Amino acid sequence: MKTSQKHIVIIGGGPAGLEAADNLQTLGYDVTILEKESAIGGKVINWHQLFPDRMAAKDVMAHLTNKLSSNVRVVTNANITEIVTGNGKYKIFFNQNQIIEAEAILITVGYDLFDARIKEEYGYGIYDNVITSVELEKMFCQNKPILTQQGKVPERIAFIHCVGSRDEKAGIEYCSSVCCVTGVKQAIEIKELLPKTDVMMFYMDLRMHGRYYEDLYLEAQQKHHIQFIRGRLSEAAENPDGSLTLKADDTLAGSPIKVKADLMILLVGFSPSACNNKLSKMLNIELGNDGFFSPCNTHIDTNSAHTSGIFVAGTCTGPKSLEYTLADARSAALKVHKYLVYAPVSEVLN
Amino acid sequence: MEDYYKQLESDIRFKEGIRACINCGTCTAICPAASFYDYDPKKIATQVQTGDNSIIEALLKSETIWYCGECMSCKTRCPRGNTPGLIIMALRQLSINTGFFVESEKGRQQLALKRAIGGNILKYGYCLHIDTIDPELHPEAGPIWKWIRKHTEKLFERLGGNYGKDGPGALRKIPEADLDELRQIFDNTGATERFEKIEKYSAAKADKMGYKTSQTSLDPYFMMVFKHNSNTHYKKEV
Amino acid sequence: MILEGKKKLWNDYQKEIADDNYFYVRSCVRQNLFPGAEHTFLKIMRNELKKDVFEDPKHTTCTGIGYHSDIVPLETIMTVVARQFSLMSENGYSNFVPSCITSFGIYTEILELWEHHPEMEERARENLYKATKREFKAPANLAHASDVIFKFRNEIARKSRFRLIDKSTGKPLKVVEHIGCHYSRMFPHKGLGGAEFPNVLTGLVEAFGGEIVDYPERRACCGFGFRQYLVQANRGYSISCSRKKFESMAPYNPDLIITNCPGCPYFLDRWQYTISEMEGKTYGQNGHGIPVFTFEELAGLMLGYNPWDIGLQMHQVAFEPLLDKIGIEYDAHDKYCDADGNFLGKPEMPEMMKYY
Repeated sequence: MKTSQKHIVIIGGGPAGLEAADNLQTLGYDVTILEKESAIGGKVINWHQLFPDRMAAKDVMAHLTNKLSSNVRVVTNANITEIVTGNGKYKIFFNQNQIIEAEAILITVGYDLFDARIKEEYGYGIYDNVITSVELEKMFCQNKPILTQQGKVPERIAFIHCVGSRDEKAGIEYCSSVCCVTGVKQAIEIKELLPKTDVMMFYMDLRMHGRYYEDLYLEAQQKHHIQFIRGRLSEAAENPDGSLTLKADDTLAGSPIKVKADLMILLVGFSPSACNNKLSKMLNIELGNDGFFSPCNTHIDTNSAHTSGIFVAGTCTGPKSLEYTLADARSAALKVHKYLVYAPVSEVLN
Repeated sequence: MEDYYKQLESDIRFKEGIRACINCGTCTAICPAASFYDYDPKKIATQVQTGDNSIIEALLKSETIWYCGECMSCKTRCPRGNTPGLIIMALRQLSINTGFFVESEKGRQQLALKRAIGGNILKYGYCLHIDTIDPELHPEAGPIWKWIRKHTEKLFERLGGNYGKDGPGALRKIPEADLDELRQIFDNTGATERFEKIEKYSAAKADKMGYKTSQTSLDPYFMMVFKHNSNTHYKKEV
Repeated sequence: MILEGKKKLWNDYQKEIADDNYFYVRSCVRQNLFPGAEHTFLKIMRNELKKDVFEDPKHTTCTGIGYHSDIVPLETIMTVVARQFSLMSENGYSNFVPSCITSFGIYTEILELWEHHPEMEERARENLYKATKREFKAPANLAHASDVIFKFRNEIARKSRFRLIDKSTGKPLKVVEHIGCHYSRMFPHKGLGGAEFPNVLTGLVEAFGGEIVDYPERRACCGFGFRQYLVQANRGYSISCSRKKFESMAPYNPDLIITNCPGCPYFLDRWQYTISEMEGKTYGQNGHGIPVFTFEELAGLMLGYNPWDIGLQMHQVAFEPLLDKIGIEYDAHDKYCDADGNFLGKPEMPEMMKYY
């Protein structure tokens, strides 16, 4: 069978799905992307600048979409209802009356954002001046002035790390990996827009694990005088004027502190996508006990699921940066290709 | 050195209270004791989790473990699922069992609690009793308290109480047979033993400190532990 | 403040509250310091709501204060709790209602422990039998007395003569609500509204037309701290905690404070008095304090009961200005009379705070 006669369905049209699609089309395959939302691009389309180099997210998006040829079919608002196997192919039923067949499926469903309302003591959705990092990034995209609900320029902005990560109370004990560097980046962006505003970061551990992340941290401290307090935010309460009183422990100085902030930004973490359970059952593939998909092996095969012909890539296998998501997508494309070319027929599903 | 850590592990509150502390300070941030005393609940967690018995022994003898007010604010927030307040309860229990509680000013107060609260429970079946809340020892109760104490019977009658009488109602006389059941429970489950330990170790300490104890409620040693505050318990700067 | 956000949260923390046939156990603190409050609770439940509330005179303290003063071992309190349950089942009841919040916390904690460690329940059974020949069944429903009043708040409000409204302006009174620490901190799902924004008291206040005031130190402990008050040497901790709350709520000019724990109203009341004597500062208007209610007292007052039958004369912070504000009539002489109308004499007046 020539490669172009083989069809791959990619579930999820975010950066991982788009990058994998481009690589697979180059290898000669027909690809269909099924995207549940009304637009492709996942969460990157609402992003302004990417760490560590401040590249414009829309430039990455342009790169991902401009390359897609007519061999890649994109279906938005797709709701998958059933997947069955037969005659060595997968049959995917979606949107009530549509069916497509594929020799392989690549899952790139991404993640959901942690619902910050769960951290009740931070008052998201209750206090006027508490927003998430995602909402802030959108404000950057739209060039919206950063003001409090009362319309004033904030004198102090507090960033809260680990919101919905490393938190038994929130039901999520893993680290979401990229919120720390996102916070530092956004803090710098705020300082560039509002140089007179005090910016404070409340963290437990500062995870500057990637290349050039530490440089951002240095820049934040040296150039912008952003303050880093090693103390997880315990509680926020609203003052009569809409500002917030934050309670944390300055663990390095060794004493509890109360700080007034006009605006509080919650660095929300990753939650496994709501789709995962459904897909896991439909395709009989494993989820880890953190709710993300478990590929065959952490080191030597991060893209094969435990069922033949099913592959996973991107943040649906766990929190990661865009950089690693795109790398993982390319790796998945190669894995799919090797499977379709080299796997003995007997291994292919019946 | 005794294996204090092992003894702590046999207390369910210790098991529930310590999972693994990462020193994030969420507990310290909202702990009332941490804002007034030289106290840091995260230190309680990080110190016990070392498993080092010499550290634990030092804690058992310290003032530190007696600063907590057992409000459990720490339990609501810890991201690792620890509860310093529960660890404190286990440490206090061990401090009493080993007799180390008498080595600290705040720990010595256990005698006052045993005689006042413990005495009330065994005598009246209540933790508190109006007859024993002396206005002289409670000036903060205000002039209204003096008036209440003077007119207790009439007041309780008006307010639907049953002060000192049989049958249901506020501050009723709990039947002797039921108090006997309570006392038997205390005997069988280790409370009486703990009360005796508190007296025993306190008597020895009182002797060392030059007090004559008389095992009656308001002896000079009792009054000393009840009232004495060296004012050395606070943070250096507020 | 976005009220819809709070409402969504409250919906997540609902709990089962039995609707009749309650086994009531009293609070050590409330019996001593606010006996009228417990009497008012029973009066409301039995006379207004026609509910069956049973009290067995054989019940004792749960020993919670002793437990949290670290003189009563866990084994002991579990057995005492088992005894309380046996009194309940022996009288044919299965809905348990404690008056005290620390008790409610204890009963909740022990039932949770028994659920996860059945061998501990077994031991409690053996201990109880050996000591008293009694047997017990765990309650089918456990709810605090304030949960029960919350459940019937609309009915109580319908029967009420008064509202939490300023008579002269028609505006709602500003109410600070204070929840006892052991109500929902340990097990947020066992408290109405959870640990951060509990609504067991906000619901009651709103049923009476009052306006809830949220302030930064709302969630802070009043400072009882068990040993931190019971031992005189430690009382600085206790007063400091309450003072922190007063300083935080003062800018909102609250008209009253409502509590559900029996100890909290004592502290929030008496520490206001003490601060006025020590610092000359009062937190209410014109040299008065902010009056502090237990929830039963407030419900009884709204229903039109005589304030001095409810027991408001046992507080140190005066209620009279508030009663005037609401338009509740009271007899100043009757305040210090006994059940037969005999005058008992007035107490001494506080030095700094206005009192009547």
